[in-house]
Amino acid sequence: MKTLRPQIMAWVIAAVLALLAAPYLLPPYQLRLVTEAVIFSLYAVSYNLLLGYAGLLSFGHAMFFGVGAFTTAVALNQIGGLSIMAAVGLATLATLLVGLVVGLLLLRVKGTPFALLTLAFNALFFAIGVKWHTVTGGDDGLNIALPKLNLGLAVLDPGNGPDIYYLTLIILGGALLFCWRFTRTAMGHSVLLLRENEERMRFLGYNTNITRLILFVFTGALAGLAGSFYTILNSFVSLDAVSIDMTTKVLLMTFLGGTGTFLGPVLGSFFYTYVQDFLSNLTDNWPLIMGVIFIVMVMFAPGGLSGLGQTLAARLARAKTTP
Amino acid sequence: MRKFAIISLAMALGLALAVGAQAADTIKLAVMEPLSGNFKDIGDRYSEGVKFAAEVINAKGGINGKKLEVILVDSELNPAVATRKATKLIMQDDVRHFCGGTGSSVAGAMEALNEKHNTLFFTYGMAAASLTGDKCNRNFFRTCASTDMQSYALANWVAQKGFKKVFCIAQDYSFGKEAVAAFTKKLKELNPQAEIVGEVLHPLGTKDFAPYVSQIISSGAEIVFTSNWGNDLTLLLKQARPLGLKAKFAGYYLNDDLMIKAVADDEAVIGSVSAEIYMLSIPGQANADFIAGFTQANGFYPTWLRGKAYTATMFWAEAVKKAGSDKVDDVIKAWEGLTYDGPAGKWTMRACDHQVQQPVWIAEIVANNPYFKHAYVGPATMVAPEKVSVPCEETGCKGFAKK
Repeated sequence: MKTLRPQIMAWVIAAVLALLAAPYLLPPYQLRLVTEAVIFSLYAVSYNLLLGYAGLLSFGHAMFFGVGAFTTAVALNQIGGLSIMAAVGLATLATLLVGLVVGLLLLRVKGTPFALLTLAFNALFFAIGVKWHTVTGGDDGLNIALPKLNLGLAVLDPGNGPDIYYLTLIILGGALLFCWRFTRTAMGHSVLLLRENEERMRFLGYNTNITRLILFVFTGALAGLAGSFYTILNSFVSLDAVSIDMTTKVLLMTFLGGTGTFLGPVLGSFFYTYVQDFLSNLTDNWPLIMGVIFIVMVMFAPGGLSGLGQTLAARLARAKTTP
Repeated sequence: MRKFAIISLAMALGLALAVGAQAADTIKLAVMEPLSGNFKDIGDRYSEGVKFAAEVINAKGGINGKKLEVILVDSELNPAVATRKATKLIMQDDVRHFCGGTGSSVAGAMEALNEKHNTLFFTYGMAAASLTGDKCNRNFFRTCASTDMQSYALANWVAQKGFKKVFCIAQDYSFGKEAVAAFTKKLKELNPQAEIVGEVLHPLGTKDFAPYVSQIISSGAEIVFTSNWGNDLTLLLKQARPLGLKAKFAGYYLNDDLMIKAVADDEAVIGSVSAEIYMLSIPGQANADFIAGFTQANGFYPTWLRGKAYTATMFWAEAVKKAGSDKVDDVIKAWEGLTYDGPAGKWTMRACDHQVQQPVWIAEIVANNPYFKHAYVGPATMVAPEKVSVPCEETGCKGFAKK
């Protein structure tokens, strides 16, 4: 195990360097795909904290993503002179509040009722999006004009590919690191406990409801943050951001990447983004193929891509050690 | 080390494939339409119009010596999907010109995208007035009537015929509401004696129109205004007559041949009128030539959407021709104020909001027509552009930001 460490470090450093150099290596469209994949990475990781870590299957994650996305657009449109970072902050705060309210209502249910209620809440938020036309633009969505971001040393233009890429990478990358740290804290461990044996946890003196609520609010806010960047990247937001489709998307990404590891969903979101781009070039029926991939993965590789990778690595290691 | 070499080689290869630049001796026009799902039939008909325009243009040697290449894109009627695909075309394939006709939501998203990348979008079907109103932008052109214009045309007809009692029925979303509001406003202006005896907004995709029809009957309306389209129009017409409604309809989209076929009851449509910017029955040599050419090439008539998309594409091509280049800034400049005399009359692109000024044609649905065995449009009469025009100051367009 100890000998593996430096190798992993080397890979991580290489990956970070590659990400930093991406704007110089990739053509504009590829860079945009990477930016999108980074945004969806945070979205999927936040979902996996619920699903993989706490064992809570939610069908309503898009309500957070959507609230973040729409709050950003509405804030930038309605509040003159608002800076982008302030809009992102507002969006995260708004999702946090939504998470708190919805979380309090969902506190006592688990399992299937939890899944169905989250689905119902997602539908509710979608309906608000459709009907509250004056604010959300309804079916038409909202266009936004992106203000430039003055950082003192440099002025970033979020309409410019490399600028928005770096902004996304730094902030969402930071959020991802934070998530990773979170899984290592006592709180993070108690989340695992929640999944493994909630009853025992209560016997040990934990208030499991509080743990679940904190996790729900925390993952919601992260999804909202991702949604906020999704709006900024597109300088447009539509109902798609709060639709059931968006929930299905995160579910697919997480399962494809694997729920068992922290990096699985990141892998899943990159895989999904690129495969979607590739497939939609070939055929308009790409969701069909994506569905088949999903079914095959769930049936034959329930650990997802990261699970596959681990199995392969283990086999290789065994092959090396046996003479 | 070897692994590293292999990886870098693979990456380099990937890059080379991705960049793969191609020579630019064609002008690319991407058509954003729903080519799958519920509205496929709408998207298909628009696409047929654009494709035929490209055939005509290319047969005459293209535009400015360049061939026109039409790229069909399935927008899935989803703004997020449409922008994703369009972004790819802009960034990777260097497409600079877009058009589309279905879904004001797609239009809104495309407006933002085109402004961002300074590409051009023209619509031959998206009717929401706001697109050239408070959402107007420099890179967006509309070559069809807005809801305001189409409603004004019908109000003109209703006022001229002297109807006193009018009922309005429309779908309950921004489009339906805009259409009714514009119609009511214009009718009051033209004929203060006319009375709106009832107004109903029903949900999209209504199956049972009986309650609404009985409301219309009991209101004593002499004519019914409707902006309904698709199934909501088919079912309204289909159910109204058996329930005993005698009043006729003045509607946006009654010249849809597929809809009339679906109603399958000619008596239910005969006598009602439709207002559109293109109809088969528009008089004049230009339209006759177009119909002849299209029918010969495709084996069916260029009804409704096909005609709208064709005429729009020809108008755009005129602008590119006049600009002498397909650079977006040049085309925008050339198109502003340009006049085009085509199959549907004389069109002028207004510079203040990029909304075309054009006649709207009105025709009654008649039993005997030269096109189909079932009922279809009779001779079209023109409502002149100035009668349906919305003055620049009233559109809500605050002018375009200078680039």
